[in-house]
Amino acid sequence: MGLASRILETVAQPLLALAIGLAVSALLMAIYGYDPVLAYKALFTGAYGSTYDLMETLAFAVPIMLTGITFAIGVRAGLFNIGAEGQLYMGAIGAVIAGAFLSLPWPLHVLVATLAGMLFGLLWSVGPALLKVFRGVHEVISTIMFNWIAFYLATYLVLYQLAEPGRAEKTYSVLETARYGVLVEGTSLTSVLFVAIAFNIAVNVFLTQTKMGFELRMYGLNPDAARFAGISEKKVIIVSFLIGGLAAGLAGATQVLGRPPTWALYGTLGNVVRLGFEGIGVALIGRNHPIGIIIASLFVGGLRHGGRYMEIEAGIYSELVDAVTGLIIIALAVPEVFEAIKRYRLKRRVAGG
Amino acid sequence: MRASRGAIDTRVLLGIIVVVIIVAIAAVIATREQPAPQPAPEETTPRATTPTPTATTPTPTKTPEETTPAPAKKIKIAVISDIGGRGDLSFNDMAFKGADDAARDFGVEVLELISKSEADYLPNLRAAARDPDVALIIGVGFLLTDAIYQVAQEFPDKNFAGIDTSVQDKAKQEKGEILPNVLDIKFEEHKGSALVGALACFLLTQYPEYRHVGMVLGIEIPPLWKFEIGFKWGCDWALKYYEQKFGSLPEHLQGMTTKEIVLWVYTGTFSDITKGYEAAKGMYAQGAIAVYNVAGPLGLGINQAVQEIANEKNLEMGPPFWIGVDANQDWLNPGFVIASMMKRVDKGVYYATKLVVDGKFRDFVQRNEGVLILGIGTKIDGELAEGIAMSTLEDLDEFIQFGIEAERLTGKKVLPLPPEEIKSKVEAMRNSVPQWIWDAVKELEDKIRNGEVEVPLPTSQEEVESWRQKLG
Repeated sequence: MGLASRILETVAQPLLALAIGLAVSALLMAIYGYDPVLAYKALFTGAYGSTYDLMETLAFAVPIMLTGITFAIGVRAGLFNIGAEGQLYMGAIGAVIAGAFLSLPWPLHVLVATLAGMLFGLLWSVGPALLKVFRGVHEVISTIMFNWIAFYLATYLVLYQLAEPGRAEKTYSVLETARYGVLVEGTSLTSVLFVAIAFNIAVNVFLTQTKMGFELRMYGLNPDAARFAGISEKKVIIVSFLIGGLAAGLAGATQVLGRPPTWALYGTLGNVVRLGFEGIGVALIGRNHPIGIIIASLFVGGLRHGGRYMEIEAGIYSELVDAVTGLIIIALAVPEVFEAIKRYRLKRRVAGG
Repeated sequence: MRASRGAIDTRVLLGIIVVVIIVAIAAVIATREQPAPQPAPEETTPRATTPTPTATTPTPTKTPEETTPAPAKKIKIAVISDIGGRGDLSFNDMAFKGADDAARDFGVEVLELISKSEADYLPNLRAAARDPDVALIIGVGFLLTDAIYQVAQEFPDKNFAGIDTSVQDKAKQEKGEILPNVLDIKFEEHKGSALVGALACFLLTQYPEYRHVGMVLGIEIPPLWKFEIGFKWGCDWALKYYEQKFGSLPEHLQGMTTKEIVLWVYTGTFSDITKGYEAAKGMYAQGAIAVYNVAGPLGLGINQAVQEIANEKNLEMGPPFWIGVDANQDWLNPGFVIASMMKRVDKGVYYATKLVVDGKFRDFVQRNEGVLILGIGTKIDGELAEGIAMSTLEDLDEFIQFGIEAERLTGKKVLPLPPEEIKSKVEAMRNSVPQWIWDAVKELEDKIRNGEVEVPLPTSQEEVESWRQKLG
């Protein structure tokens, strides 16, 4: 494939997808009697139009660039790991426990609380990994089940064990020493952004520069060839799950340690819920590449933050805003879904023939 | 692998370029569209174009020279929901109803913002505060406490109000003083709960086959103690009243204390409707005549339990009944909801807006430590401003309208029957209860209003425990 045609494909494909997504959404808004131009103006200037809004968009991008990794590293190893949601809850719980109940000096406390979140996420990914490796339980089934167990376990812990007396709707807030600093006063963005980006870069380095990363990718591309080459299937699956768990756990921790104003986990889990699933869309848009995921998260985070201005400036009610942003995300994710299906079929043909 | 790595890197680079191009295109479109006429979205400016004369021009004899200082400037208020969002036919919808009422009466413009997750509280509050026309920002629900506390300090020129919030408690705790631009709006749910508790236990005296009243509560958080103890106290008051009026309790209740009569349970959830159903089913099986819903949507589960009994026994109306909460829920299943403990969140929004429109907001905050209490007999500057009541037949119209509005917004069927049939069924149900009972509950309401009796208001675990010792 020549460079020119590759450029054409790489640029043209997402642009076309975006154009289709915008057009379908515009049609939807027009049907409901709203002005799509006004709405898109509100959406995009709302997301990127000022320093303040850009900071908010970045704040929304932080957790999903991490949960995106959880899904992506599964796909890169040929797995369909949708356990980020549950691992994220546990990560948030870990961060609350270490952040609110330990007493440590400032930089150390942040570090410990962050690591506690990552550790809890990692531990929650061990179950599905072992079930897959030793019992052949499909990861979709096991991770969905683990997500629900995590939901009820976390809800129980928040309401009955970690709740702040008199403010039973949330856990104790983490101590000042365990909080990431707000980067620009009056915004929701904290320095935890750098941790998230560093994590993504580290995963990229792992995938491209290490032997284990190479084995993981190779196994994902062609398990038969990988086995033939002496790559341990068990090791690949377990490593993929564990890195995914670390990422999701960190995502949960960012919402407790790195986002004002509450610095705690709500009893509804409302400040972390759904972030795991949003990561799947981000991973697909980012073509399951750690750097691509960062870029995709900036885009999806922008939709998430800018969406509110469609309500304010174009008067579009919030359900329709959800539909519009959802359609755009789906349109952008479709090419990668096609690719995945193509790869899957190819693999089956190879295996079957 | 070298080739494929190169491919990925190029892709990433091109991806960046694509995003930049998109943003650039969007920016171009945005700037080009600036002068385009804004198509007024019908929903955000309802009836707001006709400000009532009472709000802006107090004197009818107004000469052109006497015009108000800034006549063109229209006040805008923003209402920000918690994650419950619209369509709950209760708490959040009532807040938006209050804003619509304020728009109608004061000519203010209304900005609605729905919070999709807890991460939206801060950006939504800030987005509203950054709008130069917005003078008052109202957060609906105690979950917004921390967010209002923060944003109110970032925007000291804007006014903030919170329904059920405790921003000023937090301010006192952390700063040692109140915030001058925040009003916490609280409600005396204990008083309303006492009224429906009395009603339930009066009903009990009329039907020999029933020996209990019930209460299904959500998660045990301090705000719910008010409902729990209030209801029990009201029941106790009713039984004593009956004894005094008729000499002794009716035969089927003789020897029973309030403690034995009131069945109550904290279900530990505000969302699991099945838990409401199970809890209520057990209570009705034990012979509860009415069950009080203190868990929001769990009322639908209680309703289901009642409906099953109704189907089984082929009943047109209760007993058994259930008792609604927050909004007037009497129309949800006409004939089976004896009454509702109404917490008029809409009035809270309305009064807060009025204070801003009249220019008295900051002054009021200063004089009242930043708290507005709405209940029975509560006042704003000497004028009666109530926010708690037991539902009456007259209230029904307003809330049927509420259901019709919800049907219009969602396109789904909300009202169980045509409005006229709902009204006639509720009226028939109410008429089946002896008039002296309604009068007695009214008497309790008056006594609460003029301070003759005081409904307990527990604020600590110890106080709750001591009341449970007395009342069950």
